[in-house]
Amino acid sequence: MDHEITASTPLTSTSQFIQADDDDIDEDDIPAFTHPSIQTASPSPDKGKARASEQLAPPFGSVPTVSGSIGSTSGAGAKSSRQTVGGVQVETRYTGVDTLDEPTSKTLTRDLLSIYSKLVQVLYPRRSGSAREVLRDWDLWGPLILCLLLAILLSTNAPPSQSLGVFTSVIVIVSVGSLVVTVQAKLLGGRVSFFQGLCALGYCVAPLNIAALVATFVRIIWVRAPVALAAWAWCIWASVNFFDGSKIERQRILLAVYPLLLFYFILAWMILIQ
Amino acid sequence: MAYVSVESDDRFEEGQEGLQFRSFLGDQSVPTQQNGGGSQATSRGPTGFWTVEYYQPFFDVDTKTVLKRCYTTLLPTSSSYLSTHLTPAADLYGPFWTLTTLIFALFLSSSLASSISAYLSDANDPVDYNFSLLSIAVSLVYAYGLAVPVLLWLALRYLGVGEWSVVEAIAVWGYGQFIWIPVSILCVIPVPILRWVLVGIAFGLSGYFLVANVYPILASAETKAVRLMVIIVALLHAGLAISFKVLFFSYYIVKEVGPTDPLPTDPVGRL
Repeated sequence: MDHEITASTPLTSTSQFIQADDDDIDEDDIPAFTHPSIQTASPSPDKGKARASEQLAPPFGSVPTVSGSIGSTSGAGAKSSRQTVGGVQVETRYTGVDTLDEPTSKTLTRDLLSIYSKLVQVLYPRRSGSAREVLRDWDLWGPLILCLLLAILLSTNAPPSQSLGVFTSVIVIVSVGSLVVTVQAKLLGGRVSFFQGLCALGYCVAPLNIAALVATFVRIIWVRAPVALAAWAWCIWASVNFFDGSKIERQRILLAVYPLLLFYFILAWMILIQ
Repeated sequence: MAYVSVESDDRFEEGQEGLQFRSFLGDQSVPTQQNGGGSQATSRGPTGFWTVEYYQPFFDVDTKTVLKRCYTTLLPTSSSYLSTHLTPAADLYGPFWTLTTLIFALFLSSSLASSISAYLSDANDPVDYNFSLLSIAVSLVYAYGLAVPVLLWLALRYLGVGEWSVVEAIAVWGYGQFIWIPVSILCVIPVPILRWVLVGIAFGLSGYFLVANVYPILASAETKAVRLMVIIVALLHAGLAISFKVLFFSYYIVKEVGPTDPLPTDPVGRL
């Protein structure tokens, strides 16, 4: 799907402009550069339009006339733009990189590396400035993977008659919970970008995944309870770190944190009672 | 961003690039043609109900305010709640999160009660907790806490009675359910008479709070019959209390009575 950068974005009280970083463009990412390994790689099926002609003859001299942006998960040179569609502000990301000509493994490893770096940043944040920029390139793949992992872990341990219910409940709680907490933070006057909030809250579920993994194998309650509680505390700490930058007034900070407490506690409780 | 102040004479001129920016900052621009009478000095511009800014006035509270509004529902002097505590405006944060906390408290206490009862019972079957209770709790609590005040407000608006807003109605119902949270935590204790007493106390306190706050609104109607709607409010509340008790607070310890049966039957009695 092609996105276009709009020339102007409406300036509202809650908008926050994300600076594009152009410092990781390497030679491979310049459009119209045909990758030498193109004749062996198959075109990645889930990225952009299918170009059947690529299979017939390696396009050594051809120049792709359309440098489209494919997907929203590439990290290099990604810019985020806000447009107003019918009165509703939407955020889109334009990667600025033509990813159709590279092998699938390269695309996937880049995405996986980006997910990994965001995970590390959320779980063990470093104070250096460049590290915090990692979260600016929000993506929703990481939260999806973490949410599905948690749901699968919990539902395999549930009794067979209820495993579907458990799976559904976990996914609904994680997705609706992140949504509600992000909207709540915005309503309380915080300056948080919507998708960035969703992304960060989704990544903060990661410690609960670890607790669920431990709970799958260990049945002793005296081990599971402290592990689940420690994971819960870690989640809270990671997400409060994220919301620190959103400039909510001091006397309301507990109001913004309380939904997080509730949301992660209910997930930790579902892990405990398996 | 450039603001071009537009005066009334410029109405039919095209302006610089055919674009005219109308500033909504009252101190910068001269009020333009259509909005001449309606522009306010502190206007935000037209916002629709789908934007976040539309709902921000309802979340203009601090932590202390929310906590105070919560625990004052427990005091017997709370009949003037609307005027003393919901000033200057009612908020939506408190009711929504009180209801959500109530749902989770019911789920927590119910699962804890079932594990404790199973642990203390004689029959050591592994207990599977009934997860459908969570979805039942969600629908029940949100339907009662959000739908009932909205319906009551709509009915009163249709009858032309009462000067309260829908946010105040939701606030009264939402904050009024606060008592159920500590009661549900305490109902983990598997003693039947204690559970009934606790549910009765919670029903009494929250029911009194609801009735005391809704009755003045109903009393401002001309026809006396509208006051009978308070009976409907009380009946719905009783229904809520009973359904809480039956659905969530009814895990008990099952102790074997008498010597064990020598015949190998399962608990239902089929061979």
